[in-house]
Amino acid sequence: MTTASITVNGQLQTHEVESRTLLVEFLRDHCQLTGTHVGCDTSQCGCCTVIVNGDSIKACTVLAVQLEGAHVTTIEGLSKGDLHPVQKAFTQCHALQCGFCTPGMIMSSVDLIAKNPNPSKDEIAQGLEGNFCRCTGYVNIVEAVHEAAQAMRVGSRA
Amino acid sequence: MNTTTTAVDFAQTTFSRTEDLRLILGQGHFTADQHYPGELHLFVIRSQYAHARIKSMDLSAVESAPGVRWVMTAKDIEAHGGKDLPSAPPVMTTSGKPQELNKMPVLAREWVRFVGQPIAFVVANTYHQAQDAAEKAQIDFEELEACKNADAAKLPGAIQLHASARGNVSADFQSGDLAAVQAQFAKAHHVSALTIRSQRLFGVPMEPRAVVAHHDPVTQRTRLHTPSQGLLSMQAYLAQCSGVPEQDIDIVTQDVGGSFGLRTGAYSEHVGVVIAARHLGVAVKWVGTRSEVFLSDWHARALTLNGTIALDREGYILAIRFEDRVDVGAYNCYMSSFIGSRNLSVTMGGVYRVPALYMHSEMVYSNTVPTSAYRGAGRPDIAYSIERLVDFACHEHGFDPIKTRRKNFIPVSAFPYKTANGTGYDLCDFDQVMTLALKLADHAHYPERKAAASQAGKVRGLGVSTYVEASGAGTAQMDQVLGQMSEEGVLTIQGVTGPSGQGHQTSFAKIVHTELGMLEKDIRYGSAQTGTSLQGNGTGGSRSLYGAGSAIKNMCAQLKEKITTLLATHWSCSPQAVKFEQGSWHQAGGSDQPGLSTTDVLALLTPKERSSLSATGEAKSGSTFPNGCHVVEIEIDPETGETAIVNYTAVDELGRVISPHLVRGQVHGGVVQGLGQAFMEQVVYDDQGQLITGSFMDYAMPRAGDLKAMNNATVELGTELNLLGAKGVGESGCTGSLPALANAMMEALRPFGADRMDMPFTPEKVWRALQAQS
Repeated sequence: MTTASITVNGQLQTHEVESRTLLVEFLRDHCQLTGTHVGCDTSQCGCCTVIVNGDSIKACTVLAVQLEGAHVTTIEGLSKGDLHPVQKAFTQCHALQCGFCTPGMIMSSVDLIAKNPNPSKDEIAQGLEGNFCRCTGYVNIVEAVHEAAQAMRVGSRA
Repeated sequence: MNTTTTAVDFAQTTFSRTEDLRLILGQGHFTADQHYPGELHLFVIRSQYAHARIKSMDLSAVESAPGVRWVMTAKDIEAHGGKDLPSAPPVMTTSGKPQELNKMPVLAREWVRFVGQPIAFVVANTYHQAQDAAEKAQIDFEELEACKNADAAKLPGAIQLHASARGNVSADFQSGDLAAVQAQFAKAHHVSALTIRSQRLFGVPMEPRAVVAHHDPVTQRTRLHTPSQGLLSMQAYLAQCSGVPEQDIDIVTQDVGGSFGLRTGAYSEHVGVVIAARHLGVAVKWVGTRSEVFLSDWHARALTLNGTIALDREGYILAIRFEDRVDVGAYNCYMSSFIGSRNLSVTMGGVYRVPALYMHSEMVYSNTVPTSAYRGAGRPDIAYSIERLVDFACHEHGFDPIKTRRKNFIPVSAFPYKTANGTGYDLCDFDQVMTLALKLADHAHYPERKAAASQAGKVRGLGVSTYVEASGAGTAQMDQVLGQMSEEGVLTIQGVTGPSGQGHQTSFAKIVHTELGMLEKDIRYGSAQTGTSLQGNGTGGSRSLYGAGSAIKNMCAQLKEKITTLLATHWSCSPQAVKFEQGSWHQAGGSDQPGLSTTDVLALLTPKERSSLSATGEAKSGSTFPNGCHVVEIEIDPETGETAIVNYTAVDELGRVISPHLVRGQVHGGVVQGLGQAFMEQVVYDDQGQLITGSFMDYAMPRAGDLKAMNNATVELGTELNLLGAKGVGESGCTGSLPALANAMMEALRPFGADRMDMPFTPEKVWRALQAQS
């Protein structure tokens, strides 16, 4: 056993973990943040996507002990006082059905817009290639990210 | 019901569904999120062989490994009352005898018949301890030859899987009139034959299957958390195979990450977790990994239909015949034989007036994961087969596929219509639906677009499908819902159908809003918890909206009467004088004051009066006939063989539409599942029966951008088959998309001599076809 200290959603989380503990297990089992989901075991589905030090990553691809001192944002840490524009756009565009892929999808989208504030729909689709959804058919998801990016551009000018 | 607690005020946001808030906040509650203090973890030891006899098994090293609490084999399951896994009732075979079922044991006894079949359960303090211990199992197998699919199982000399199933045939089934079909073929001017395959798929709900059981030794009751499509069927099936009486099992289903037909009943792991929790008196948990559920979630499709069609000189259809081969996998589990019989045959004439129909299906065992229901459960497959066959025949004999469809449609004047194999359709207008779809797809200018694509070096194709499907008839006598108003005026409805993303609460609240004028925010829906006396059907066969929805409409009528009586007392008038019209309550012959909204009326009542408002709504609703026309244009890049969908139009006739955006969402999702099957998804076994596509590394899934946009429209013809007047939408997107996508590909590939190509139309397969002819 070893100790991992990671700042998650602004809060320092220090837990005793096995060295094989993945970040996603750290979040779900040690921090009780179950909004980050596990949909596969080969890092394809993207359900576990979170933001680490400003970059979206799949939380099943990294060990907790590799992230000593890192800052992690999960879906639970996204809304501050009001819903994040991406969260708003997801409901308004009916971009979720069962909601299992949604946290990862939203976190990938937040990172995508942070790096490309005015993405085309093709760029959005490309940016979400690493996130699977089985319910929605993706059309509304791409639409939601497009709408959210626009809302954020307008918001940042205001 | 799941409730969310949050300090944030979201009143400023409009939500497209009342379900959404907790899900976008990461506060959904899926089965893997459930924890009990001191819970143990179950790991499954599975067969590595497709077909083998277990000669000996030594699990002593597993039992003595650190943290292990119990190692369970088939003997333990039996000792604790466990039975084999359930199957749908046997099919009546052609010989008049009921099918003999070979059910799957919870844990293998002497034989294993597919890779992944559970052999033993290891229960330990932690998941890793269970997993590490399992590696110490010593199992001596005598490996046998394997049948990797139904075709291999039918080869002369193929090894037999079950003693009772000669030639590996589990059952055969027929529908229609063979002699009538043969007579029509004898006088036909044109005959076409096409073998149509709907390849084996994974269902892939994004939430991997999981189950947590907690046993209370005092009450002797076991609480089970698991994704389901409705509690009653899960409870009944689980009781059947675990031996635990229904009344001792409480099932809790909160959020469900997709179901698509896979989650109706219990699997081996459910039984293992329940028996272990009861035996050890501790909570036990199993969460499948994706690789594991690929080896053990019931597989989908795996159907081959040999179609023949007879046409007269003018292109009128005289007869259609199908000879089907249905791969049920290693055992009869749940729905495979039902799919291969009823669901394939019930609409086998499609949207056409066909004088003679005949289908013969053989259900065949193979050394593969058992198959069962997935998005449409045979409906997409038969629609795909008919529409490919009709298109193929038109091209083979020089008929225009659209004009030929039009003149063969069952005309509106012929409804109610009974098909040649006995299915009664109530009312459809296929011509109106196709006309609208062609218009929205700008079909008239297609030749110009095709020429332009050709100029740009692309190969363009257009495909049309006109489908009709028979939604689920339901197995319960009726659908019931219980509505109970709280003192605060919140109406909670309990029904049997369980949501897994469809938006039950949103749509059901809309029905209540329409019928009773209540605000949607004051309405909750929950799938009934254990102990309910409600009857009803789980989610499946596209029937939740009109099944439970009709019961809700009936419940609203009763509540309206009760409110009327209460209001009459408050207004000191007779109940007959209380009127509810256009969302407003007023007194006939009373003052000219504006009427009261239902919210105002509820506010007028005392808390006790409000909480006296309860009603059990019920309705009997059988199958409906959703139908539609999908028009697709694709463009192939001959350099790579990759296909882009450049125009997708779906016009669906679904009866009354309650939530247009949810209907669009269902169609989008269904179409993209169809697209997955058409272009990329396929489960592959090698000749030894090893699963080659064991993870998302090998099993291709549709991704964002595969379908960029869709024109959607609905036609609301209505139906009198249920109280609500809706036909259901869950499966139609998938059903309409397969044939439209395939026919578009065939139109593009026909000049290259590849118009018999099977799905999936992968770039490699398409590229090779183009190379062969260029």
